[in-house]
Amino acid sequence: MNESSSAGATRARVPEPETTAVRVRDVTMDFGSGVPAVDRASFDLEAGKFLTILGPSGSGKTTLLRMIAGFQKPTSGDITINGKPVDADPPHRRSIGMVFQKLALFPHMTAAENVAFPLKMRRFDPRTIPDRVKGFLDLVKLVGYGDRRMHELSGGQQQRVAIARALVFEPELLLLDEPLAALDRKLREEMQLEFRRIQHELGVTTINVTHDQREALVVSDRIIVMDGGRIQQHARPIDLYRQPHNSFVAGFLGVSTFIPGEAAEGGLTVGALQLSGTHSSRIAAGEPARGAIRAEQIRIGPTPDSLARCDTKLAGTILDVIFEGERLLYVVEADALPGIAFHIYHHDPESFDLYQIGAPAAIGWNAQDMKIFNAAV
Amino acid sequence: MRKSVKRFSARIPLRLFESQPDERRKDPVMTRESDTSPFPYPLRWRIMDGLESALDAVWPRSMSRYSGWALVAPALLLVGILVLGLANIAESSLHTLDRSTFLPSEDYTLANYQTVADSATYWRVMWRSLLGAALTVVFTLLLALPYSYVMVRTPSAAIRKALLVALFLPFFIGQVVRAYGILIVLGTSGAVNDVLGFVGIGPFRLLFNFPAVVFGLVQYMLPFAVLMLAPALTAIPREIETAATSLGANWIRTFWHVVIPMARPGLVGAGLVVGTLSLTDFAMPAMLGGGSQDFIANAIYDQFFRTADQGLGAALALLLVALGSILVGIAIALFGAGTLGMGGKR
Repeated sequence: MNESSSAGATRARVPEPETTAVRVRDVTMDFGSGVPAVDRASFDLEAGKFLTILGPSGSGKTTLLRMIAGFQKPTSGDITINGKPVDADPPHRRSIGMVFQKLALFPHMTAAENVAFPLKMRRFDPRTIPDRVKGFLDLVKLVGYGDRRMHELSGGQQQRVAIARALVFEPELLLLDEPLAALDRKLREEMQLEFRRIQHELGVTTINVTHDQREALVVSDRIIVMDGGRIQQHARPIDLYRQPHNSFVAGFLGVSTFIPGEAAEGGLTVGALQLSGTHSSRIAAGEPARGAIRAEQIRIGPTPDSLARCDTKLAGTILDVIFEGERLLYVVEADALPGIAFHIYHHDPESFDLYQIGAPAAIGWNAQDMKIFNAAV
Repeated sequence: MRKSVKRFSARIPLRLFESQPDERRKDPVMTRESDTSPFPYPLRWRIMDGLESALDAVWPRSMSRYSGWALVAPALLLVGILVLGLANIAESSLHTLDRSTFLPSEDYTLANYQTVADSATYWRVMWRSLLGAALTVVFTLLLALPYSYVMVRTPSAAIRKALLVALFLPFFIGQVVRAYGILIVLGTSGAVNDVLGFVGIGPFRLLFNFPAVVFGLVQYMLPFAVLMLAPALTAIPREIETAATSLGANWIRTFWHVVIPMARPGLVGAGLVVGTLSLTDFAMPAMLGGGSQDFIANAIYDQFFRTADQGLGAALALLLVALGSILVGIAIALFGAGTLGMGGKR
């Protein structure tokens, strides 16, 4: 008895393992074209977290999502949801709510019927269905719209019906397949915040797929960047932005200027020019490399001497000045680096008339902000 | 943010963008600078230009207000002739046949309609036509729906082609020839009874009864129904069915709760076409019914060409037109003209 209680205490003291909701191991999808659409993707997602898979079209992000949903069978690899392998389960046996790109709402049903559909299909007690439907229409702020048909609802309202329909049966996992892609910018940003609010309120584990980097940064706890079927990086949004693993990730998030050259100790050699920087991937000196510097990390001034806090300074010419509302975008060519258009954000639109196109200007940055990547990746 | 970068590429020489991350996704149009051949003016455009100038000569721009009427004129002409014929038939239905002279009577009378109403035979023929048409609609739609669904949704081009060929082949064979084919297959010494004989049962009398007529009609109507259903099923986005699966419906429930309700315009349209064509059919009841299973059309034929009682035949013909119109009217009132997939609100 003593023994067993002490054993129990020991077990209790062991910290609980992080609850992994979704585990994807070496999942590959090969449609037979020679290049796999998804190539050995592996990741874990903690319960209750919001993950975004970000990538350009053709990166394999939607294929990966469709495999998790069960619409496509992986060529190889395993997918586990809440500890259960789901490879053998057809989509309707998986506890997954999904919001589709074109919403796929049922036009012959009212909003309430759309939301009730999964409850009926999953054999919920019919007496509880009306209350549950009402509760979820409340959650997505559609009180009083239950008896509307789909063509009587606005784009944003349809989005909300789709969210309620995907969540009403309390799935273990919510999947979002670019549902906001077709909305205009204002509505899209509003719905991004709505997704965030609803996800926080219910605490449902969510995987979102998008090519919109802003959306990924705004809504997610974790971001996976995909390109060419491979996971390029899996990190928190802020880490992804600050410490990109390779030049693809650096170029995909934010606006960066890339400088091709050769790796050197503590920097980059471009012809006769030596630029200091931080190596983000391991490269031997002399190998082809690319330096990347973000538009907001470059300073601009009339002369190199005016850029006091920069350790790298270059003189150049203004190629273009673009007014973007809350900021200005300067395009500058440095005399020492012909053919490279530096993109520079300036957050004081008052200085619009400060530089004319064709006028001389100087740019500068801090060496720690210049990331140097292997050019091969 | 990325948009601004793209906007740039139109304003700045391409060379400046060699270091941009988007480099390998560069617009293919912009890189094809060596292609300097002039844009070849397509032949189709040339032909259209010629036709347009010819049209300008025949139908000047100032007449464009009446263009709509000009376009429906042929159809109006056709319908007009039909209406004229109907009026003619209506007129002759009001004269009884004078049995002594075999000429229609001079005075107008409703006697022909009275004859039809009083005759148990004509009532039976009418009910048989209605029942036959209704059964044909039900069986045809039951067979056509899975056929069109597979044809529309199959990922295999070979299966789709095979189904399309099987669909259009019967159109090359006339209705009478097909009825003869059925006569041969279902006859007392036909293929079906031969097979049944091997098993040790039969032979059965499979022809010259009501089921044989319905069988022939279903066989005849199936391609029409498939042709009407296929566009309605194509209009249902695949993603909707995928969504139903992800919400917990297996394929049977997806079909029942999503595909069939969404295909309703096609089902109503196909039902109307099959129903009206069956109701007015002549060949199948005549050939597969063997004279014992007459539909209204057969009765009309008998009056015109056997008894030569034009008045009675005309009365029956008008009743058939009225019956068909009422049925179509009820269907449109129930489901709305929009459900036939012809405009209306969505």
